[in-house]
Amino acid sequence: MPDNRLTQTEASLNPAVTQMVNIKIDGIELQVPKGENIIESAKRAGVDIPYFCYHPRLSKGDAANCRMCLVDVFAPRRAPDGTVSLAKMPKPQASCTLPADEGMVIVTDSEAVVRDRKGVLEFLLINHPLDCPICDRGGECPLQNNAIFYGAATSRYTEEKRHFPKAYPLAENVVFDRERCIHCARCTRFTEDISGDAQLGFLKRGADMEVGTFEHTAYKSKFSGNVIELCPVGALLSRSYRFKARPWDLHSQRSVCSKCSNGCNIKIDYRLDSLQRINGRINEAVNEEWTCDKGKFGHSYVSSEARLKTPMLKTGGEWKAIDWTEALQILVGKLRDANGSVAGIGGQRCTNEDNFAFQKLFREVLKSNDIDSRVEGYLGSVNKPLYERFGYHAMGNAIAELEDMKTILVLGSQLVDEQPIIYLRVRKAYRFKGATVINAVSSVPEDSPKVGDFAQLELVYKPGTEAALLKGILSVLSAEKLASVNGFAKGYTLEKAAEETGVSAEAIQQAARLMATGKLAIIAGREVANHANHLEVVQAIGDLAEATGNAQNINLPGEDVNSQGAADMGVLPDFAPGYAPLENPGKNTAQILQAAADGSLKVLWVAGAKLLEKFPNRELAQAAFASDTFIVVNELTMTETAQAADLVLPAASFAEKEGTFTNCERRVQRIHKAFDISLEIKPDWLIFSEVATRMGGGGGSFFSARDILKAISAQVPAYAGLTAKSLGDEGVRWNYPDK
Amino acid sequence: MAIRNLLFEHREVAGIEEMDVYEKLGGYEGLRRAVTLERQAVIDDVKTSGLRGRGGAGFPTWIKWNGIPKNTDKPHYLICNADEGEPGTYKDRELMLKTPHLLVEGMAIAGYACLGTAGYIYIRGEYVEPAWQIRKAIDQAYKKGYLGKNIMGIEGFNYDLYVHMGAGSYECGEESALMSSLMGERGNPRLKAPHAPLPVHEGVWKSPTLVNNVETYCAAAWILKNGGAEYAKLGTERSKGTKIISVSGHIAKPANYEVEMGTPLLDLLKAAGGVTGGKLKAVIPGGSSVPIMTADKLDKINLDYESCAASGTMLGSGGFMVFNDTTDIVLLMKRTSEFYMHESCGKCTPCREGTRWLFKILDRITSGGGREGDIELLLDICSQIDGRSYCGLGDAAAWPIVGAIKAFREEFEYWIEHKRSPIGDHAVPPTPVVVNPLLTLTPA
Ligand SMILES: Cc1cc2nc3c(=O)[nH]c(=O)nc-3n(C[C@H](O)[C@H](O)[C@H](O)COP(=O)(O)O)c2cc1C
Ligand code: SF4
Ligand code: SF4
Ligand code: SF4
Ligand code: FES
Repeated sequence: MPDNRLTQTEASLNPAVTQMVNIKIDGIELQVPKGENIIESAKRAGVDIPYFCYHPRLSKGDAANCRMCLVDVFAPRRAPDGTVSLAKMPKPQASCTLPADEGMVIVTDSEAVVRDRKGVLEFLLINHPLDCPICDRGGECPLQNNAIFYGAATSRYTEEKRHFPKAYPLAENVVFDRERCIHCARCTRFTEDISGDAQLGFLKRGADMEVGTFEHTAYKSKFSGNVIELCPVGALLSRSYRFKARPWDLHSQRSVCSKCSNGCNIKIDYRLDSLQRINGRINEAVNEEWTCDKGKFGHSYVSSEARLKTPMLKTGGEWKAIDWTEALQILVGKLRDANGSVAGIGGQRCTNEDNFAFQKLFREVLKSNDIDSRVEGYLGSVNKPLYERFGYHAMGNAIAELEDMKTILVLGSQLVDEQPIIYLRVRKAYRFKGATVINAVSSVPEDSPKVGDFAQLELVYKPGTEAALLKGILSVLSAEKLASVNGFAKGYTLEKAAEETGVSAEAIQQAARLMATGKLAIIAGREVANHANHLEVVQAIGDLAEATGNAQNINLPGEDVNSQGAADMGVLPDFAPGYAPLENPGKNTAQILQAAADGSLKVLWVAGAKLLEKFPNRELAQAAFASDTFIVVNELTMTETAQAADLVLPAASFAEKEGTFTNCERRVQRIHKAFDISLEIKPDWLIFSEVATRMGGGGGSFFSARDILKAISAQVPAYAGLTAKSLGDEGVRWNYPDK
Repeated sequence: MAIRNLLFEHREVAGIEEMDVYEKLGGYEGLRRAVTLERQAVIDDVKTSGLRGRGGAGFPTWIKWNGIPKNTDKPHYLICNADEGEPGTYKDRELMLKTPHLLVEGMAIAGYACLGTAGYIYIRGEYVEPAWQIRKAIDQAYKKGYLGKNIMGIEGFNYDLYVHMGAGSYECGEESALMSSLMGERGNPRLKAPHAPLPVHEGVWKSPTLVNNVETYCAAAWILKNGGAEYAKLGTERSKGTKIISVSGHIAKPANYEVEMGTPLLDLLKAAGGVTGGKLKAVIPGGSSVPIMTADKLDKINLDYESCAASGTMLGSGGFMVFNDTTDIVLLMKRTSEFYMHESCGKCTPCREGTRWLFKILDRITSGGGREGDIELLLDICSQIDGRSYCGLGDAAAWPIVGAIKAFREEFEYWIEHKRSPIGDHAVPPTPVVVNPLLTLTPA
């Protein structure tokens, strides 16, 4: 794929700090990095400069259009005789793009500046419908705020306003009110700078200019929700939130998205007990401020009618609502009768606290090691693929570290779907930091955005031939003496790799050359995770990383919100919390299901795992569910797996409980309870704890999520010292002791 | 001081658009002389000539040429601004149509002096015939070795020239918007110094880029042929050489006139046959963007940058429009503001919203809906646009209205009070007789 870097908005955020300069803003003297935008320097000085189009994460090229941030500038001028005097720039300057320079003097409170701001606001409002009473943005609208603080009280405009039909259906989740648009180009720049699909642009010109897509096709993106938050007016609106609430009626709770392992920081905005919308929350290390559409729009289930509100028991094929006392009585009876023939699956969608209580209950109360959080992919020892060789399990890099890579190889992944936020970092590395991206994948989807859109090189290989491809690359590195390959490519030639993978020899060569020098990160996705010969592929990845000196830059991120935490908490057949090896390993998911299907398992407890939906060997899963094994499922709604169970217990969603998730880069992050849907819904840890208590305690009883976190930090070395307080709002990334 | 045909020296020569005729009359001697000089000496010669940009702003040409870095490994791009969108201006059209080789030669010289990799002539989309002429001239120049690889036998002097047609936007004549458009983007202007590097450092494709007007390059060709000192003999102290003035309006002989800088405005008026259809009422000397001048002030104005500025107007692009006393200035301004409203790119708030507001008020006034306070409102809106917009188009939309109100306030007041034109039955001017018909061409 050619270097199709778009140039409309020049990709330059603030330059790297190389030098400090002295400037003065409204009489306040301060030192700032040379080249910093004055609007940011003003923030340091505590001087408020109003703005609309400025955004620190969007490139400057298309900014400076709203003219709200104009300031008077005096710059030092050297006369021929060497004397330096201050000269006022003839025109006011947009502070959002003006780079700080030595001796600059900025005035933001002159009469002229006050007048300029009034003027800009008057212009912005002449064509604005001013329908604030029915606008979603009303109450949290930058245009309202700036108009109140800096605008004139009245308008002199008496002509006809510009009109458009309301609610233009821009995207699946976004409707567009063109009348309200102030043409700040934040949304258009977002699609170009951040998400990378560059679908939004301006159509027409002058006062007729409007935001739209080329030829008015639908705006199809995986990050469209962000433009709603970026829009400084109520022009881009969430289809699901529109007309649902006024901002001042909403309560907001800090949380972490539950949809994938990237762990975006979010705010849950809710009214009474109903979730109204999800907004991004800033965490520079994780999502910066973005969310993906799955996360932003995918949480309607939380407050949906479909939520289970009481335990459900299946008798004679019929579901019956029962109360908790009865449910626990039945369950405890079954567990007692089973006499150790019990197994547990799940936990990747539960908190660390849930998982810890889950394995405590099984190991210490039920005396069974047959417990596994994994539903798909590799089910062998988690230490094998990477840990034994490199000392880490999943991600060698922090998400933010990807920005510093010279080259990034994305292998076997539809990254934008599997790891949306990692995708955005890769895209940022490419667009703003000049990284080279190579995409190796077995199939290329049509729709954008995707890594292939900006990858320098795309290698489309035959499904399953990842190892051959990597060995081919190694053989080139060896043949061209680009790296010391240690015989990793033994028995392999470029030609053989080309033939097996279906990738041209030149492309493999090019890839090898791109990867030979500089920091290289490898991000492997679902195709690798679910590969039949997972170990072999990871071995080859390791070889490539080692040969190029990037042994610490391999990344095999999990996919579910707490894949990482569930493993950390020891919901694995062969490891106790903290990856402490067990003397008597239990059964893994496949073996458990086999046991159930064989009729040798009495009770199977499924904690929020979508076994029937996701387990690759569906027949086995079905056989297990059809057997006499008593199956109990903790779930939010009646999923296919729940339907096939014998007892279903209503579990709390992430919005209704306290706890922590550990994202794919091992960042432990807190979630907070926003509301209760029903008092009959319990967090998973409480269900496990109540059962443990009824069965005699034995270390499985807890009072609160915090109580469990204390136990975790006492038992799991990597989590030592983690407290609700120390985790703070940004979470803490745990590290291996020797790193 | 009056008519001095330097660039137009051969415009009436039949076949001058062909290489052989052009060469016979001394064509490409400028380039020949240039390549015998050091590159810096070429730039110094342009400095000696005192040539200033003819696209409107009058920026010293040599400073731009000299600003192109001499030691980058990036390609250097040269752009000729042939978008000529300023109402009343049609000089570049005639230059390209009649003497296309002059431009090609000028760009080749600049390519030599500025280590150019490629040159792009960005031609206004409507200029189909001039573009044919230029393409033909480029083809001929390649055949003669004035373009292409190792030009004139000079090892490493490789320079290609391309024509790029605009798609019909005035704004694309603004140099940064032109660069956006040339790169295939929306024709929006780009950040300028001090917000971004100068184009001579980072222009198109982030490479050093020189942008000059057609007339500027043509003058450079003349200068290299005849010497900068020769050029500097003409004109005033700070405005050197000649300027082509496109005369139009109520005038006996509308045409392009090349005058020596500093020529009294009234001399040109006389040379063009004088006002027709009535008494002289006003002149816009430099294209629709510059303030209008009442007849009584014209005797103090000379056609050079300083004199125009001293009188409160500008020489601009040389779009010289003459109005007799049948002209309704308010209607003229309504039409002018309509143009800027239509041409605003929409990027920045003051111009996008302000130009339409201005038009709507003027439209209302000239439809009999004028109200007390409208004049102050117009002035206020102009002051909120002028200097506040992202690029010069906003300023250019405000200046003429401010100028017209200053010069003809009573006409605005008359419209507002009487709901009709002060000119009586407004006369539509007859289509002027074209005394200097341009070529009719078929594609090269
Ligand atoms: C709105 C606007 C339109 C312009 N249109 C033209 C044009 O059509 N032709 C032109 O040569 N310069 C035009 N200019 C001036 C150019 O921006 C630029 O100054 C010029 O091309 C530089 O060339 P010069 O130094 O040879 O004059 C325009 C400027 C503005 C602000
Ligand atoms: S829709 Fe919103 S974000 Fe996009 S340009 Fe308009 S005001 Fe800006
Ligand atoms: S990327 Fe993942 S964590 Fe972030 S919003 Fe999307 S689903 Fe949620
Ligand atoms: S002044 Fe603003 S809206 Fe007008 S053309 Fe320039 S950038 Fe576009
Ligand atoms: S914030 Fe600076 S111009 Fe918009």
